[in-house]
Amino acid sequence: MTVVVAVVAVVVAIATYLTWIARRLDRLGVRVDAARAGLVAQLAARAQAAVALAESRGLVSLAAAAEQALAGHAALRAGASLDNGVEDTENELSRALRAPEVGSAGQGAPELLHAVDSAAARVALARQLHNDAVRDLRALRGRRLVRMTRLGSRRPLPAYFEIDDALPARGGPLGASSPGMGRPARVVPGGAI
Amino acid sequence: MRVGLACPYTWDVPGGVQVHVRDLAETLIAAGHEVSVITPVDDADALPPYAVDAGRALPVPYNGSVSRVLMGPVSATRVRRWLREYDFDVLHVHEPTAPSVGLLACMLADGPIVGTFHTANPRSKILTAAQGALQPSLEKLRARIAVSEAARRTIVEHLGTSAVLIPNGVRVAAFAGARPLPGYEPPRHTVCFLGRIDEPRKGLDVLLAALPELARRVPGVRLLVAGPGDVAAVRSRLDPPLRDRVDLVGLVSGEDKARVFASADVYCAPNTGQESFGIVLLEAMAAGTPVMASNLDAFRRVLDDGHAGRLFDVGEPAQLAAGLADLLGDDGARAALARRGRDLVAGYDWPVIVESIVDIYRMVTAGADPVSLASAVDA
Repeated sequence: MTVVVAVVAVVVAIATYLTWIARRLDRLGVRVDAARAGLVAQLAARAQAAVALAESRGLVSLAAAAEQALAGHAALRAGASLDNGVEDTENELSRALRAPEVGSAGQGAPELLHAVDSAAARVALARQLHNDAVRDLRALRGRRLVRMTRLGSRRPLPAYFEIDDALPARGGPLGASSPGMGRPARVVPGGAI
Repeated sequence: MRVGLACPYTWDVPGGVQVHVRDLAETLIAAGHEVSVITPVDDADALPPYAVDAGRALPVPYNGSVSRVLMGPVSATRVRRWLREYDFDVLHVHEPTAPSVGLLACMLADGPIVGTFHTANPRSKILTAAQGALQPSLEKLRARIAVSEAARRTIVEHLGTSAVLIPNGVRVAAFAGARPLPGYEPPRHTVCFLGRIDEPRKGLDVLLAALPELARRVPGVRLLVAGPGDVAAVRSRLDPPLRDRVDLVGLVSGEDKARVFASADVYCAPNTGQESFGIVLLEAMAAGTPVMASNLDAFRRVLDDGHAGRLFDVGEPAQLAAGLADLLGDDGARAALARRGRDLVAGYDWPVIVESIVDIYRMVTAGADPVSLASAVDA
């Protein structure tokens, strides 16, 4: 009798623990999905802001990089993976945004330039939230018990999204980092992976 | 947006986190958001209309000082009721590593949760040891905010994760318009100090050690010293000829703090360590008072490497005396520092800081369900 009670207690304890772990995995999955959707939305907002600035000031190479990025976003919204190809395209846009002529031409359309810089700052933020969520999920998926019980194997392991999103240094009164433009003076996404 | 703020420390006990939560709540409300704060409190009548009582916190020794923490069935029930009643779009917990309301709310809720980390503690064994136990709660945070570079580093090192740096805000308007205290209109050759007068790390002794040399170079110099501590003991340590120059006014209210800055030509922060941010420096800049501070990491960062205020080597009274004498004798330099300080502090004004925080709220709530109670198996 005692043995039966003990066995039942142990089974219940293990089942409860596994249920708890499964709940955590589900919740982290929801968090990763939300962060991914947020990141895709911010990438699209940045590309659109870049197109608006490029068209207004006749910046040909910025327009090309932004159109290239925009072309891929529909697939991302439909669930395509944030793979190396996407990283390369978005890196191109980051580089194009940092070109000196963007800053100088943007002086003629300060609101559009400001919109682009704000959007770029939000991309950096969204990317950090995404990678933090991915890190937490990968940490739990990496636990031996989770691997043995294959609790997390219903969905593929999400990957970090690595792009160079360093903000353009604009300098001057309209710079991305100048206070009083209605934008945060120093929100610094930080922390290495 | 409907925002729930969870404050871990007793509302009616002075502290930086409480002030942060209050200013954040009031700035959010002024910007048109609906806000409710849940917090431990000793005297529930002290709560503003937007705050809810989580119960009384117990004092527990922690990290070299006494922390007041709150965990238990009564508080858990109150937090659960609060979450159910308000139906928040976003829950923002403060100091989720402290065993109090912030962590409780994080354990009991599900959905878009943001956490702000205030503590900077480079060698916290407790935090490292607790990481495993905290992880299930901390992994619910969809965004993590650190209020200082030191706090951010603490998270990276102890919790193996990262955070967005959004500094503490300053109520610029409250400091900008203050009148000098009686007897200081207009301020002349006055240096002010704010902080505990018997806490060595606040550095009053460094300033007092600089006083004889300073008085030799600036004959009319006066020190205005505000902060709690044993006034008589400090006075008895002063050389009799210097006593008349030092005005020890004891603990001052938040409002009078602004008047202390307005009464001085220079604010001196001679701290010798353990400062993670330096909000007082920003408050002085908001008041338009030039800053002379010790060259601590946090202070150098706030003062933009010495462009927005002067720096002197930590614990060097001779250097401090020379620097203060220079500054007191140079109206142009003080005016330039005051101007640069005002420009810099504008970026820390609460409405500006709140915009960054709301940006994060928007990001974590986009397309997400509102905050809900977590199922029983989570807690």
